[in-house]
Amino acid sequence: MINKVTVEMMPIVLATGDPARVDEPIPAKFKEGDKVIVLEVNAPTHNRLPSYIKGKVGTVTFDHGVFVFPDTSAHRKGPKPQHVYTVTFTAQEVWGEAGHPSDRLYADIWDDYMRHA
Amino acid sequence: MALAQENVLIPDVGLRVKALESLLAEKGAIDPKSLDLLVEAFETRIGPKNGAKVIAKAWVDPEYKKWLMKDGTAAIKSLGYSGVQGENMVVIENTPTVHNVVVCTLCSCYPWPTLGLPPIWFKSAPYRARVVIEPRAVLREFGLEIADDVEVRVWDSTAELRYLVMPMRPAGTENFNEAQLAELVTRDSMIGTGLALAPGK
Repeated sequence: MINKVTVEMMPIVLATGDPARVDEPIPAKFKEGDKVIVLEVNAPTHNRLPSYIKGKVGTVTFDHGVFVFPDTSAHRKGPKPQHVYTVTFTAQEVWGEAGHPSDRLYADIWDDYMRHA
Repeated sequence: MALAQENVLIPDVGLRVKALESLLAEKGAIDPKSLDLLVEAFETRIGPKNGAKVIAKAWVDPEYKKWLMKDGTAAIKSLGYSGVQGENMVVIENTPTVHNVVVCTLCSCYPWPTLGLPPIWFKSAPYRARVVIEPRAVLREFGLEIADDVEVRVWDSTAELRYLVMPMRPAGTENFNEAQLAELVTRDSMIGTGLALAPGK
């Protein structure tokens, strides 16, 4: 079944987009300031976790609220809504001594990709 | 060769796009006229001049800047820029001690309503792989030397947040109005691979 993209849809798409934010009171697993470890997610299916931060320790810096979880929604297994956070890593945590001592990396990470450090 | 000049286009990309479009139209998935509307919008209305107006307003209006930093999406929408790939906007501010630069290591996520479509190099594997590992070396290739005592923050837009860098207002622009200031705000300065232009340059 194909939902045809029509001329009438275009002004709406351009003006509002396709919001992935979910307006549901889902509890957050983490709070700002928490130390977290990024999980070794190695599923062959769709996910949105960059490999270079797997297993690294970071600090939850912002809680952006609740969003659709791409791992399930991409496979039509439901939105599984959960919080997304900006997590801060020092460059040296991620790259060892190759990282500049004052530099930082910021990545946006879903609840299911992390555990408390 | 500097990253910004590197030719990373895949061959025959135009042909591939044409083939895909014909196929989608024949299968009844799209009305080709809808694509024409999208292309026209991105050719004529949606591009980095939008983002430049946001930054220039924030430079001259402290109340607007406060709002922009707190709720980027709403403050940007108030100027008429919203929609696809700008649903959740975060503005990050450069200061004398912090330089921000944005990447999407997973694909090519980019704030379309304020910056338009991403430049080729933003989507290229070398930029995406290297800017997280050696941001200072990559910025040097863009002509930016970051002092050792300045912190570099690399923002990897891996989820649904889209980032817009607020460059520092150039010196010597105290008497500039908003429209004059907007002329100094380049696309690269809002990605973090450039600075706002000095007046008269």
